[in-house]
Amino acid sequence: MRSGSLALTAAGLMFACVPMQAHHSFAAEFDTKKPVELTGTVTSIEWVNPHAWIHMDVKDESGKVASWNFELGSPNLLLRNGWRRDTIKPGDMITVSGSAAKDGSNLANARTVKTIDGKRVFNAGSSGEPGTPGAPQSGAPQQ
Amino acid sequence: MRTSFAGLTVLCALTTTANAQWLDLPTKGIPRTADGKPNLAAPTPRTPDGKPLLDGLWVADDSRHLANLATDLKDVPFQPWSEKLYNERRANMGKDDPEARCMPQGVPKVNTLPYPFKIYTTPQAVVILYEMYYLHRQIFTDGRLFPKVFESPSWMGYSIGRWEGDDFVVETAGFNDQMWMDTFGHPHTDALHVTERFHRKDFGHMEVLATIDDPKTYTKPWSATIKQHLLPDTELLEFVCEKNLDPQHLVGK
Repeated sequence: MRSGSLALTAAGLMFACVPMQAHHSFAAEFDTKKPVELTGTVTSIEWVNPHAWIHMDVKDESGKVASWNFELGSPNLLLRNGWRRDTIKPGDMITVSGSAAKDGSNLANARTVKTIDGKRVFNAGSSGEPGTPGAPQSGAPQQ
Repeated sequence: MRTSFAGLTVLCALTTTANAQWLDLPTKGIPRTADGKPNLAAPTPRTPDGKPLLDGLWVADDSRHLANLATDLKDVPFQPWSEKLYNERRANMGKDDPEARCMPQGVPKVNTLPYPFKIYTTPQAVVILYEMYYLHRQIFTDGRLFPKVFESPSWMGYSIGRWEGDDFVVETAGFNDQMWMDTFGHPHTDALHVTERFHRKDFGHMEVLATIDDPKTYTKPWSATIKQHLLPDTELLEFVCEKNLDPQHLVGK
C-alpha cells in the first residue's frame, strides 16, 4: 500500500495516537496531488460537526486578498488530539498545510496547522482513511 | 511541504498529554498498575453468573475495516450485479456514500469507526451508544425472536443477543437497503442478516467477528474480525452533524 520505511514508520507512529477520519471518502473531495501550504490571518473558527473549519484571509504577492476555507477533523477528534476551542483564534497568523479540493474552490483539507513562529504544530485531524486511494495519514510526511 | 520528526513528536505529545473536560476524569473500576496506569491486560471482568461483562468505552484499533470490510479476504463472493455496483462506487471514489450525508453507518460498520462506543449491560438488553452521529442499539436479551415481518426496515436493524460460552452473539436483521458497509462501498440488500460475535479477550481488548449473510448480494456468507480496545479515562462526546458542507464538494474522480 505504501512504500518507503520512513513513511511506514511515520504513518504507524501517527496511527498509534491519532484516530482517522470517518464521514466521507477523502479522495472524492480532495486531491493529494494538489498540496497547499498557505499563510494568512484567521477570520473565524467554526467548532461544528462533522468538521471544524478555519476560515482565513490569504494575501498573494500583489497584495490581493483571497478568502480560504480549511476543513479540519471533527471537534471531538481535535479535542482528543489536544486542541482547545481557543487553540487558534481570529486574528492569529497561521500556516495551514493540506490538500486542495478537486472542484477548484478555495477549499482545502487541513493536515497540519502551524503557528507563524513555527514553534507549535497541530495535527488538524482530518485526513481520510488508510486504504482509501489518495488519503494520507495525519501528519505523515508527504511523499 | 515535509513534516519533520520533531513536528511529529510535538503532535504525538499533544495527543497523549492533553484531554479536556470529562476527557481527563479517571474512569472508575479500571484495574491499574502501581503507577496508576490502566492495566488493560488484566483479566476480563465477569458478571456474578460468570459471563464476560462487555461494559466499557471501546474503539476500533484501526480503520482498515472502515475503508474496506473485506480487507482480509482474498475474494469477495459477489453476485454479478453487486460486483458491478461495487466497482462503480470504487471508480467514483465513494462520492455517493450516504455516510458523507450524515446517514447512519449501519451494522457492522458501526464497529469500525474511529469514534468510540459505550456498552451498558442491563437485565433485558445490552445497549450500545455510538458517539458518531449519536446512534444507539438495543440488543435484546429477553428471549424475544425476530418478528415475522419487519414492518419498518431501518438503518441499524433489529438486534437480539444470546451467550454462547464466552461469546456474546448478536443477530441483526430488518435493515433497509440504504447503507454502505464500508467507505469502499460494499453493497447489501434488505435481505442482509449480520451475526456479530463479541469476544472480550481481557480487560482492554475485544474482538468483533462480523459475518455478512445476504444471498441476494453475495453467493455465500463472509466475515471480518474487527479488533477493539478499551479507551480509559475519557468519555463519549456529542456528535450531531450540524453543518455538513461536504456533499456540495464531493466530485469523485
